[in-house]
Amino acid sequence: MKKIETTLSTLLRDIGAFYIPKLWHFLSVNGIDLGEGKIELQWIFSAYGVKDEIVIYYVLSDYNTPVPSLVSLIPSAIMGEREIVDMFGLTVDGAESGLYLDEDSRTHPLRGES
Amino acid sequence: MKKTIQIPLGSQHISLLEPIRFKFECENEKIIGVDADVGFVHRGVELACTRSFEFKQVGYVVARVCGLCAITHSLSYTLAVEKLLGYVANDRIKYLRMLMVELDRIHSHMLCLAHTAENAGFEALFMQIMGDRELIMDVQEAISGNRVQFDYISIGGVNRDLTPELVALTHKNLGLLSEKIDALIGLFDNNWSLSLKYKGVGVLSLEEAYTYNALGPLARAAGLATDVRAETSDFPYEALGYTMILESTGDIHARNFVRLREIVNSIAMCRNIIENLPIGEIQEKAKGKPNGEAVVRVEAPRGELFYLVRGSGQNMLDRVRIKTPTFSAIPAMMEVFKGAEYADAPAILASFDPCMSCTAK
Repeated sequence: MKKIETTLSTLLRDIGAFYIPKLWHFLSVNGIDLGEGKIELQWIFSAYGVKDEIVIYYVLSDYNTPVPSLVSLIPSAIMGEREIVDMFGLTVDGAESGLYLDEDSRTHPLRGES
Repeated sequence: MKKTIQIPLGSQHISLLEPIRFKFECENEKIIGVDADVGFVHRGVELACTRSFEFKQVGYVVARVCGLCAITHSLSYTLAVEKLLGYVANDRIKYLRMLMVELDRIHSHMLCLAHTAENAGFEALFMQIMGDRELIMDVQEAISGNRVQFDYISIGGVNRDLTPELVALTHKNLGLLSEKIDALIGLFDNNWSLSLKYKGVGVLSLEEAYTYNALGPLARAAGLATDVRAETSDFPYEALGYTMILESTGDIHARNFVRLREIVNSIAMCRNIIENLPIGEIQEKAKGKPNGEAVVRVEAPRGELFYLVRGSGQNMLDRVRIKTPTFSAIPAMMEVFKGAEYADAPAILASFDPCMSCTAK
């Protein structure tokens, strides 16, 4: 497993340069609450036909900064993006709430302070 | 501009096994747009894994994410924790875990094939496949003690050994099933209801499979060569006869055949496992508390199941991330619906073998 740190402002550029659909399988978007209003966001990829090759791009951020959407690069990322909107209360460009929770839910279960 | 109408399917519908709601936008009988609502059975499992249960208990919690692939959930979680503890299972434990996962794949694929037959109006075949599936359910129950929620895999091993009587039962039932699957292959290939009706329906092209990150039988039916069993080194699949099954047309017929041929391959692997079962303990000490971050991929019946586990040396974990196959397949599924006839929607949906308990978790 290889972890590569990036920033929200360079995320699209970095993953755009890395992601080739016929080489890399997009696995998931993930969030990990770090406490004190901080969160680690991860975008996880595995290589087709290569054993144990996993690459994770990650960003250390807070809950107030909007997260750019990867849907223009990876259409299937919308599911994971909608999930972190619900579960962490993040704002992701173009991703609606209401995947798992009520659309107007005020609680976000995986957010530390909830 | 042609008039369009919106037709809902679900959340409760006779063709659905679990709750999911589609909103189809149709032009006459053709679907031109689709929206899906998948969260009806959200239970907060990820939260429970870090707030309500200690890491030694979580393996039994995640098995409750899904009744059909409970064994792959508990295996994925257990492998992740064992990586954090620096523990590697002996070969006997690996073989026993593989046996249960492949048995699980066989009965899960048979359930999907039964419902595909049912959606073609072939009720008798539905009943026949469900009856034949009991051969595997009986073996799973005899080995693990349970038909569905197995709780067979634990950190450091498995909970029951394979006795000579269980080996004999497994051999016998696999032999009986093998004959029945051969007959099913002929039926799915030659019967009008199952072959002509499903050829060219619900097509996912190879290009779309890459674009929408399709996985599991859905991807392999479109010709995308991906299978976690070939992309991880946690288990010696190749040595036990694993073969990647590929089709090329990407339609319902191809998805049926990927599943049928994977059942044949899994039966062969199960036979190899019980004939070459290594000697060793079935439960070993895996000491310590999880510290760090580990990721695990396991090929569940519907495709790649992914777990990320992070711990900081405590009994309670910091994060358990579960990414299930159907969750990832939703975008590809929605793409396949576009352009299809509305009347084919239930059959297309059944051919994806969706699991909403996994998806909403």
